[in-house]
Amino acid sequence: MLELRGATYRYAGYAQPVLHDVDLVLRDGEIVGLVGGNESGKSTICLVASGLAPISIGGELRGEVRIDGEPTAGLAVHELAQRVVIGFQNPATQRSGVAATVFEEVALGPMNLGLPVAETLARARRALATLRIEHLADRDPARLSGGQGQLVAIASLLAMGPRHVLLDEPTAQLDPAGSNLVAAALRDLAATGAALLVVEHKTDLLDGLCDRVAVVDGGRVVLDGPATTTLEDPRLEGWGVEPPARVRLARALAARGLPGLAQLGWPA
Amino acid sequence: MAGGYLVPLALVGIVLASAAAGRVLRQLLRISLLLTLPIAVSVVLVSVLTRPGETVLMVLGPFDVTVEGVDFAGQTLVRLFAISTAIGLFTLTTDPRAFVFDLERRGLSPRFAFVAAATIEAVPAMVARAGVIAAAQRSRGLDTEGSLRARLRGVLPLVGPVLLSSLTEVEERSLALEVRGFGRPGRRHLLWWPPDRPIERLARWLLIIALAGLVIVRLLGAWPPIP
Repeated sequence: MLELRGATYRYAGYAQPVLHDVDLVLRDGEIVGLVGGNESGKSTICLVASGLAPISIGGELRGEVRIDGEPTAGLAVHELAQRVVIGFQNPATQRSGVAATVFEEVALGPMNLGLPVAETLARARRALATLRIEHLADRDPARLSGGQGQLVAIASLLAMGPRHVLLDEPTAQLDPAGSNLVAAALRDLAATGAALLVVEHKTDLLDGLCDRVAVVDGGRVVLDGPATTTLEDPRLEGWGVEPPARVRLARALAARGLPGLAQLGWPA
Repeated sequence: MAGGYLVPLALVGIVLASAAAGRVLRQLLRISLLLTLPIAVSVVLVSVLTRPGETVLMVLGPFDVTVEGVDFAGQTLVRLFAISTAIGLFTLTTDPRAFVFDLERRGLSPRFAFVAAATIEAVPAMVARAGVIAAAQRSRGLDTEGSLRARLRGVLPLVGPVLLSSLTEVEERSLALEVRGFGRPGRRHLLWWPPDRPIERLARWLLIIALAGLVIVRLLGAWPPIP
């Protein structure tokens, strides 16, 4: 379990904190969506939860981040990375640039940890198999589609052996086909018991994927509950979040006095 | 005078023969000439026009073109060409990744090895990025073909976006590397390194001995510099 308790974070050089007293829990096997308007603090929550803030990027953190009950303060990034990893939206920046094949790219993380060769190979194979991209193993990482590249980036993180995976807008730069590819892979990943925190603007994607959704506004978690009810909350748009299409359609139908989706036989 | 040409020309001969055997001769000549030409022009101009000597070949305005100046320029050019062909042959025939992995296997820090490999790979990556940006700009009407002037006009607007996009990605790229254990101190177990064949080991030792011999010969003054 990954917990943020009262996390208040200020970036280096900033006068004011960007996060205020954030409490967030990520349980094993859970997929939690994180939504919010632009500059609401979603990415900062990911950076704090992963330990990169403040260890790598500086700044000041008050409150606590705990993994399985133990505080993460004092741990080095590479030690934390075996418990929690973070992926970013651009697959290209997550490529090392020194691997000739996807397999080498995915194996780079375990190799950096100093693991024996057999363990490194096993972790790389497992990561590729989890995301069902074994067929990409011999491909050049620089010549993949956006969706494939993002899956390779996620596999590279999985090879570190974490139980918690934080993904900051993993489908932001992908077309619909690429987004669907990543969404399907995340479902498979969650089925292995890993805990996922997925930051997204695409609420339709989160609607079918997440167990819970938390809403961030002004650096605070303002709502945190089951995905279905949270994404139907009428306050979402006020927080800069567009509800999923099924919610907007249902509201439009209701506004015109037409039968709702359930009455039309729309699957839940 | 001939003594100053013999060894560099012999070296150029060895390098070019090696390049031919490796089927990279044409590429090597192109790269070496491109590398040497700008320096060669300045060397020739400075040496030929300003180097003092006893035998004047011709007078060009205020400058005396002397045999000694031409000879100095010639020896310098041959040496420059020898250096550029040797470096060019190395870059054309050595897989950068194999080179870096081999260095790491022999004790180079993994971080330094990564930086070296990433630096080598950065150039083709930037060229690819420039291609994408150029294609995007061409679709918006930028003309990148035609005369040299037109091409320069077309290329200059690309420099900013290519450099800026590379720089803005640096932070995210460095964080992504940290999450994958890049900052961990200590050695790592490589999955692969290039084979070290006996003939390559022999060639390495011969080169080291030859280099040591050259240094000694030079220090003892048995091989004078270019006068």
